[in-house]
Amino acid sequence: MSRHTLRQGEAPTMPRAAFLDLARPSRRHWLGYLLLAPAVLLIGLIIVYPLFVSVDLSFQNVNIARLDQARRPFTTANYERLFASEDFWNACWVTFKLVVIVSTGCFLLGMATALLVNNRFKGQALARLLVALPWAVPEVIAVVIFAWLFDSSFGLMNWIFIKLGLVDTTINWFSSPSASFAVVCVVMIWKGYPFVSIMLLAGLQSIPEDFYNAARVDGASAWQRLLNITIPSLMPVLGVTLVLVMLWVFRDFSIIYVLTGGGPLKATQSLSIMTYEQAFGFFKMGYASAIGVITLIVCIIASRLMIARAPDTM
Amino acid sequence: MKRNRLDSVLLYATAILTCALLVFPIYWLVVTALSEPDQLRQLPPKFWPDQPRWGVFAQILAERPILQWLGNSALAAIGAVTLSMTVSVLAGYSLSRFKVRGGQSLGLFILTAKMLPATLLVIPLFGIFRQLELIGSLWSIILAHATLIIPFTTWMLKGYFDTIPRELEQAAMVDGCSPLGAMVRVILPVSAPGLAATALYGFVLSWSDYAYARTFLTNAQTNWTANLGITTMKGEYVSNWSDISAASILVALPILLIYLFLERYLVGGLTAGSDK
Repeated sequence: MSRHTLRQGEAPTMPRAAFLDLARPSRRHWLGYLLLAPAVLLIGLIIVYPLFVSVDLSFQNVNIARLDQARRPFTTANYERLFASEDFWNACWVTFKLVVIVSTGCFLLGMATALLVNNRFKGQALARLLVALPWAVPEVIAVVIFAWLFDSSFGLMNWIFIKLGLVDTTINWFSSPSASFAVVCVVMIWKGYPFVSIMLLAGLQSIPEDFYNAARVDGASAWQRLLNITIPSLMPVLGVTLVLVMLWVFRDFSIIYVLTGGGPLKATQSLSIMTYEQAFGFFKMGYASAIGVITLIVCIIASRLMIARAPDTM
Repeated sequence: MKRNRLDSVLLYATAILTCALLVFPIYWLVVTALSEPDQLRQLPPKFWPDQPRWGVFAQILAERPILQWLGNSALAAIGAVTLSMTVSVLAGYSLSRFKVRGGQSLGLFILTAKMLPATLLVIPLFGIFRQLELIGSLWSIILAHATLIIPFTTWMLKGYFDTIPRELEQAAMVDGCSPLGAMVRVILPVSAPGLAATALYGFVLSWSDYAYARTFLTNAQTNWTANLGITTMKGEYVSNWSDISAASILVALPILLIYLFLERYLVGGLTAGSDK
């Protein structure tokens, strides 16, 4: 967002404004601090303090987080156990596969739909609305929809697959590791692509029409226009969107937890699911916090990358 | 630019096919809700029920405490949005208008806070709320949802205030308004559409939460939010997809309506701060 820097020459007629001239480049004022105070206080209490607590927990051998009890001795045992644990590396691998597959899927579908509804045609407004509709379906409801579509006995997908001759008997989607992983990917792509579509459409609309007209005059084909105008102009938005989508997949809890609970055989147990399972399934809060801290570090690095790529967000 | 006829036909065909395919899961939810449970166990499936049972919604509302769940979700969302908006309007205005020492770093921190994993924050919050005896109460959800909402609303509002010319405040102050008065009487009324869109966005975030409700409210059945209630139905009635679908429609409806009526504003909010 650009700062407003255009005011000049208004000062002489404004005696009161001299006391607080909001347009002056050096506007330091008690009011600025006062207005920030409630937010700083609340963020400190419900975000910063809990973050410190969880880092602290990750260095203690605690089972149930009881803040009123004396602190347990400092130990790095949680991290040592974590790095030696097969489950942790499995969760890393599952998370990595999810991030790659779902982000790619969201991107291809999001880009295709954005390019489609960026065309001018009758009903374009309706198409835009429909294409982004899954964004407005709560994650839990999306899971309900797909759990039924992929139901092992009467689900529509099994019927379609058999009709198409892809399989000869019904697939039990949620008891096969690779099939449930695939279903998780489908749900996440369906839920995630509208965000990409919305972001890219906003980017597409900011490309001046003149660029395309000039290219047409020079005889560029549709494919050349896409490669040489559209994609380069979208690069800044693409970068930010990619990081946001990857972070969403990385952190997502509800879809996987409600759909498969991380199973079968931990095939869909991502780092988020493992953190939650350890904390609230086995009440190993210290150990779970250690996994959480690792995911936190990944998130911070990724969001820093994004901010660096998009200096305009400041 | 004129398109030739073949291109037009292709464009319409692609558009219709794409929309139909992508929206089909939502359509199927509606079909499932309107079908008799035993009809769903027949193959080939019916793509529209012979006799849509429109009464299913009234029936499910009578059989299940869905109104209570929706009420809890609404209370939690209204509480969380009110709390978040109060602090974010002030903070967003300050970040937009004042050069406060540390303001830049605070802005960066808030931007990073948007990316925090809920599964990490939920552990210490559980400990803190247990000590405060808030587990099972909607207050725990209100505070937890504020951690989701504040980072978004603060950034959206800062971006919105940045688009309002500073001359407005200056004129108000020339007319004798105090700096605070200029903000309350001039800037906030002018920003009403932005404030409303931001608040609705916060509402959507709160309404969609599952992780916090699952953790803090599972043992307090009367305080279940809509999403939590739906997942318990899913676990319990594996066979009755038609009831679950009807309940799901009722839960998704508020958000779908907000989206349909306010698409433009919400989309503006989504892209604010990350796109130029």
